[in-house]
Amino acid sequence: MNTALLEIEDLHARVAGKEIIKGFNLTINEGEVHAIMGPNGAGKSTLSYLLSGKPGYEVVSGTVKFRGRDLLSLSPEDRAREGVFLIMQYPVEIPGVPVMGFLKQAVNAVRKYHQLPELDTMEFVKMVREEGRKLGIDAEMLKRPVNVGFSGGEKKRLETLQMAVLKPQLAILDEADSGLDIDALKVVAEGVNRLRDGRRSLLVITHYQRLLNYIVPDVVHVFADGRIVKSGDKNLALELEEKGYAEFVKEK
Amino acid sequence: MAELIRDIELFGADIPRLEALREKGRRAFLLPTTKVEAWKYTRLDLLQKGDFVPPASKFLSELAGEPESCDCHHDDDDCRQQPEKDKAGHCCCGHCQALCPDLPFEAYCLHFHNGQFVPIYPALPQGVQVMTLMEAFARGEDDHLLGKYINLSQYPFAALNTAYLEEGLFIRIERGVCLSRPLALLFHAVGDGCLANVRNLIVMEEGAQAELLEYYFGGEETNLRYFNNSVNEIYLGAGAVLNHYKLQDEAKQAVHMALSCVRIKKNGAYKGFCLQKGAALCRNETLIRLLEENAKAEANAAYLANGQMTADTTTDIEHLAEKTYSSQLIKGVVDDKAKGVFQGKIQIARDAQKTEGRQLHKALLLSDTAEVDAKPELEIYADDVKCSHGAASGELDREQLFYLRSRGIGEDEARRMLIDAYLSDVIDRVDHLEIRDWLRGQF
Repeated sequence: MNTALLEIEDLHARVAGKEIIKGFNLTINEGEVHAIMGPNGAGKSTLSYLLSGKPGYEVVSGTVKFRGRDLLSLSPEDRAREGVFLIMQYPVEIPGVPVMGFLKQAVNAVRKYHQLPELDTMEFVKMVREEGRKLGIDAEMLKRPVNVGFSGGEKKRLETLQMAVLKPQLAILDEADSGLDIDALKVVAEGVNRLRDGRRSLLVITHYQRLLNYIVPDVVHVFADGRIVKSGDKNLALELEEKGYAEFVKEK
Repeated sequence: MAELIRDIELFGADIPRLEALREKGRRAFLLPTTKVEAWKYTRLDLLQKGDFVPPASKFLSELAGEPESCDCHHDDDDCRQQPEKDKAGHCCCGHCQALCPDLPFEAYCLHFHNGQFVPIYPALPQGVQVMTLMEAFARGEDDHLLGKYINLSQYPFAALNTAYLEEGLFIRIERGVCLSRPLALLFHAVGDGCLANVRNLIVMEEGAQAELLEYYFGGEETNLRYFNNSVNEIYLGAGAVLNHYKLQDEAKQAVHMALSCVRIKKNGAYKGFCLQKGAALCRNETLIRLLEENAKAEANAAYLANGQMTADTTTDIEHLAEKTYSSQLIKGVVDDKAKGVFQGKIQIARDAQKTEGRQLHKALLLSDTAEVDAKPELEIYADDVKCSHGAASGELDREQLFYLRSRGIGEDEARRMLIDAYLSDVIDRVDHLEIRDWLRGQF
């Protein structure tokens, strides 16, 4: 039986006074992988920030439910604690905050929210190192400040590591493949796929099809001018790769 | 209007050199207005009323043979222990010390209570002498160094301190002695309206090495109004090394003024770090003279100001000889309607060639009403020097804040993490790892 994890209904939203999302509908069930593809400027990143609660993104109308709860009324931290995780396109550098300490704060904040005891430091470090190893992140990198001086690939691997330790119900990948060579792409994709257990869901936002060779979607949506204009199976992605988005942009 | 200078009986009125010093202080003291350049940004309105009064002299009451009572404001019921007295009749119940939170590291602790030394001495290693300033003065141990190099007309609060010269310590680390634990001077205040004028004279002989901590602690009682006005005179002989840490965590309504006057000889190295987070009005002023070749000094500081607080960090470093080095990193975090002030002067004398002077002040403004005034001043008379200064202020980075929150970290905690990160480079300049962690825990 299908249980809805994320339900977005007729969402309209503005950024800096300009309407970017214009009547967006999407339902993601538990265990499903959805891909949203679209031309640049369609509002793909806006959608990911709206769902994760970034300040400055104003919802005009519509609803977003996550596991039946009104997601839009929650603070960014509570959305993360409820199980929404965003792999960002451009993760910000945070000098002075070492990766390991940051991960510990994040994991314990989420555990506290769910009334679980804090993790023992030794156990935690062991767990992070293990997950890190799978992603090619060594102990040295875990000591460095968050994203500072990281290459594009290292940043995305760190995003994936955070996801691996936080174990979200819904991971949103915003252009997760940008700036990655094919080897790094595979590592990230494998990391994401490891999370899939039949109940966790993925929303993969991407301009290019190539990421979808590694993270195979159940449903592909075409996103243009603030709404979904077409949906299909994974073959739609291949079609888009071949023909481009011209057809959808013209439809305007 | 009540005056800060009052006619108060002090020890040693019959010692001409002591009384002459006090008289100089009394004459030189004048509460500066904002028209005085050095006080342009730091308003002293809180002192205008002048209703701060020094406590009665402990030395005189001791000489008069009055029974010494523990004046730590507790009765025996609170104390739980039967108060014991030491040979000198001082309370040894430990209550005074208990007012000050435990230090999470080993140190030789020396306590001041309302600006008066509690004469309990730790067992010090050989070659380290600690005695009251008055004892040192009476015995001529101070070598006439006391007050020798402070121009009182330029430093009004040093003048005020000198007018009441009595309390404080003389500390001497003998030639070549290396102290393994820090000396900790712990100042706890409980008296409302108290004006404390502690004066310390610290002499590091040739090749001596030590760490000194000053900890001013106001306690939880937020409404206590008092005025701590401290002066340190610090002498570093050739090759002597002193790490000087300070945590100023006075009560919220208190006033804290402090001047450290440091003179450094050949190959000597002074490294100062001061964190100010308490008091309604505070200034930590450091005056450093690099007297001989290869003398080195660092004056690093951090301040956290909120509410209506004014937190002032002022430095004046004078390079008087060749190949001297100075470095300053000062970082502030200012919230609410608080104000941060930084005045940093570097002077390089004509003969001080091949010297290096570095200075950087940065402040984080957490509200629209927070204010920072920075005044760097460089006076360079030599032509072969490396000198730099910089000042910057900014806000918390919204992208960083969102990033942390999007990982489940609450907003307050995320802000705390970013503030801690902001101050991490300056706190990393604290060499003593346990003291560094302890200071970091104060953010």
